[in-house]
Amino acid sequence: MARTAPPPLTRGVGWTRLPILLAGLAACVLLFIVPFLVVVATSWTRTSFVAFPPQGFSLSWYRDVLHDPEWTDSFKVSLRVSAIATLIAVVFGTLGALALSRLRSRAARSWLRTLFIIPMAIPPVAYAVGMYSVNLKVSAFQEHLTLLVLGEALLAVPYVFVVVSTGLSQADPALRPAAATLGAPWPMIVLLVDLPLILPQILVGAVFAFAVIFDEVVLSVFLAPIGVKTLPLQMLNASQEALSPQLTAASTLISLLVMVLLGLVSLVSGRRAARARAIARKAATA
Amino acid sequence: MSTSGAAVSVATRARRRGSKTFGTAERHWLLWPPLIFFALLLVVPLVALFQQALTGQGNTFSEAVHMDVFAKAVERTLILAAVVTVVTVILGACYALAIAVGPVWIKVTLMAGLLISLWTSVMVRTFGWMLMELPTGALFWALDKLQLRSEPLNLYQTTPGMYPAMVAVMLPFAVLPVMAALSSLDGEQVDAATIFGAGPLLVLRAVVLPALRPALVSAGVLVFVMALGFYVTPLLLGGPSNMTLSGVINAQLNNANRADVGAAMSIILIGGTVVIYLIADRLFKVSERWG
Repeated sequence: MARTAPPPLTRGVGWTRLPILLAGLAACVLLFIVPFLVVVATSWTRTSFVAFPPQGFSLSWYRDVLHDPEWTDSFKVSLRVSAIATLIAVVFGTLGALALSRLRSRAARSWLRTLFIIPMAIPPVAYAVGMYSVNLKVSAFQEHLTLLVLGEALLAVPYVFVVVSTGLSQADPALRPAAATLGAPWPMIVLLVDLPLILPQILVGAVFAFAVIFDEVVLSVFLAPIGVKTLPLQMLNASQEALSPQLTAASTLISLLVMVLLGLVSLVSGRRAARARAIARKAATA
Repeated sequence: MSTSGAAVSVATRARRRGSKTFGTAERHWLLWPPLIFFALLLVVPLVALFQQALTGQGNTFSEAVHMDVFAKAVERTLILAAVVTVVTVILGACYALAIAVGPVWIKVTLMAGLLISLWTSVMVRTFGWMLMELPTGALFWALDKLQLRSEPLNLYQTTPGMYPAMVAVMLPFAVLPVMAALSSLDGEQVDAATIFGAGPLLVLRAVVLPALRPALVSAGVLVFVMALGFYVTPLLLGGPSNMTLSGVINAQLNNANRADVGAAMSIILIGGTVVIYLIADRLFKVSERWG
């Protein structure tokens, strides 16, 4: 965000700059960085229990986690659940955003927006208890992950909806009427005008949704069939038993994996945005 | 005001003439699938909750409300959510301002911290705080090295132990909206105020704060509502004797085997948070600003 910072602000805040910087830096180091480093550090201990400061250095706990079927299986379950639920959330979130862009009445728009954000306001525990009650009634769901996937999808819909409808609101409003005047039926407009415009936002929304679902634990606590665990559930269970360095090793591995993947994604999308800006500049000067 | 209103209505009419109005087929295909999805997945679990709550003998709602644990948990949760919201919003504003006015090394550090926190799971961040707060954990080690304390800490699984971790987990939700608001702050206004002799405090109060207010309010509402229903962090750091609402509900189902009381409590919790969210949304237009 360095580019967007107006130098006038730096001048305007004057002597209050120092306390602001100190507060920000303290919050960053103490709340964000140190706890994460502690997790990483405890994972390379040689002891069989979590110890800080770590005793010695070894990567044996990483090997241990990667060869433990409990951890690898839960990772696979999480991947599967997150992938399917993300797909569902992307479809319904995008449809909702498209519908919002076509509604004209202010009241209807505002209610639709409120409705689509409500899943964020509902406490996951309470929602999970509701789904659990459904689960008790309908025995067909108890064996597999259907309810878990659907519930996770609902919780992730708002993220897709918000990102995609922001993208739609920035699109040129004249494009759709132009296409309609030229005789394009509405499915064609959606496919050839709207979707190409919002494809980047759909992808960003999908990444968001995937991250939220992959991280979500409460629904799995109540809805995962016996013997099946998602990765966060496995972590939660492990943290409530004796603390083993296995847990911090697994945490480190998954965090590093996510950081590398998301780092690559933002690098690629950042480069694409820069290219788009360059093209726009060229078009403006031509 | 009236000219801009007229302009808007002319624009709307022009748009209406240009495109066909939102056709019925279009509405059916775009609007109804997500609405049906929402209706099924929101209404069915809610109905099941009510059914579950009514299966118990007697009035499970009054039973829930009169439970000592529940009343204590409500109080603890409300105080926790309120304090965490205030602290998070203030720190979030400082954090975003520090990114905006800091030298490069501070910007880089703060952005790195923000990304670490956004990209690691809530679970892992909570583990970090567990390891910090354990009686002989990292915090004790640091205090011991600084010779400030020699006996083990008594912070893990206490009510105060929940606070720093909750703030740490919620802080990105406050930093991001404020950063967005700051990036659209009008530098010339700040300059004008400075040139006319406004001191730093006056600039912050009269120029910066009004520009940030919508972002601060919507971040606050979001953090408050999320803190009310938070599960992992209070469960791991507060422990069984300092349960928040979500912990009590969890215990009703998994330990006390009273799914009916748990369902009644869930309904109360859902009702509370949704009402707060709806009121905040009508008052401050949170959902329009969010994201």
